[in-house]
Amino acid sequence: MITEIREAVKEYLARDDVKYAIGYEKGTYGSKVAPSFAFSPKDVDKFIFSPLCINNLAVYPLLEEKLPLPRGQTAEKSKIVVVLKGCDSKAMLQIINEKGLSRDDIIIIGVSCSGVIDPKKLQAKFPNSPIDAAYKDGKFLLLVNGEEQHISKDELIFEKCKVCENPNPVIYDLLVGEKVEPKVDDFTDVTARKDDKPEERWNHWGQEFDRCIRCYACRGVCPMCYCKKCIAEELRPAWIGRSVNLSENTAWNLIRAYHLAGRCIDCGECERVCPMDLPLRELNRKMAKDVFELFDYKAGINLDGKPVLAVYKPDDPEDFIL
Amino acid sequence: MSEFEPNIVAFLCNWCSYAGADLAGTSRAQYPPNVKVIRVMCSSRINPLFLINTLQQGADGVLIGGCHPGDCHYVQGNYFARRKFGLIKSLMEQVGVDPARVKMAWVSASEGSKFAELIQELSDELREIGPMEQFKRRDEL
Repeated sequence: MITEIREAVKEYLARDDVKYAIGYEKGTYGSKVAPSFAFSPKDVDKFIFSPLCINNLAVYPLLEEKLPLPRGQTAEKSKIVVVLKGCDSKAMLQIINEKGLSRDDIIIIGVSCSGVIDPKKLQAKFPNSPIDAAYKDGKFLLLVNGEEQHISKDELIFEKCKVCENPNPVIYDLLVGEKVEPKVDDFTDVTARKDDKPEERWNHWGQEFDRCIRCYACRGVCPMCYCKKCIAEELRPAWIGRSVNLSENTAWNLIRAYHLAGRCIDCGECERVCPMDLPLRELNRKMAKDVFELFDYKAGINLDGKPVLAVYKPDDPEDFIL
Repeated sequence: MSEFEPNIVAFLCNWCSYAGADLAGTSRAQYPPNVKVIRVMCSSRINPLFLINTLQQGADGVLIGGCHPGDCHYVQGNYFARRKFGLIKSLMEQVGVDPARVKMAWVSASEGSKFAELIQELSDELREIGPMEQFKRRDEL
């Protein structure tokens, strides 16, 4: 699999119009995997792909600052090669759909993915040991301190992968890996508390929001949060206060989830990077579930789909309106 | 102050609901004085941030008034408002905001009595639920 990716990237990098390629490389310690940027074919040899490659690389092409060019000029090199798993490709499709990036500027190497390892579960099982991982016969093959261990997927797999409906990339220029059977998403985590009274729900969520330290890591890592100016930074009017307290934290987390309504593709990056382990995916998935139930729309599936809140149907459900 | 008096903020659309509230006044319909009306040009002007911010700043309930579907002065504004409101309401319910605190209603310019009844109902409900304390801003210091 990895030789296929490396060769393809090398081929792309040899082209005149390709700027650089984004993939995964081994991190500096433990089991960490870091994004890797290859500008020449010799950089590509450090690329890897393993069950530890959890990062969503769709966010990186957005982070690059694009200075305006003089009129009539076009950039000499404009294309970026990026390695994307199934869920990441949905993010890229959604970004292209929203015209955040141009499809012509992105070359996607899609990788069919049968699930990645949750770093938190891994850390709990093997604290602080250097780990390498691979896929083998439907299991994870871990190399812990030089010892091989076969571990069943259920034990270490990231929660989002258990309900992954798109393990195969939805948009790609080159597909790597065998097709993976999609799973069914039943949103049990969202509906788990549906019979609770409002006070009980707030007891849970109030505690969660109270722990938030407003580091905005969830925003930084989110491939969908690419506004030039975020409302959290807006000063006139200051919608969300800067102070870290329950009220402002709640406002921030609600608005973050709302702004992802109909856009979040459930890559789970926000929850992974959250230093306080807030269950942020639950809020995002609640919105995704509502958007699907009310408006029959799923983010990151169709390239020609209009943003769900920018269109309407005269017969949209309105049983919540008096 | 023995009994709790709820504080309601109503965002009313200029063309229908605001005129409806006006009619309630001119026709001398009786309704509780707990409501503060903010006029907006269209119900789709209402950003979900308004709802969160209003509750943060001490309102116990928020009401959005818009034209009936098909009656919007801007043809499609209330359809967009309906989509946005459905999502923010269910998000708030997910984290435990009482559904009675966030409401939306279609009030046309001729429905003065409906507006009066709405405010009566809403303030009765809120009086039962009690003040909004969940994520109200508190003065620190």
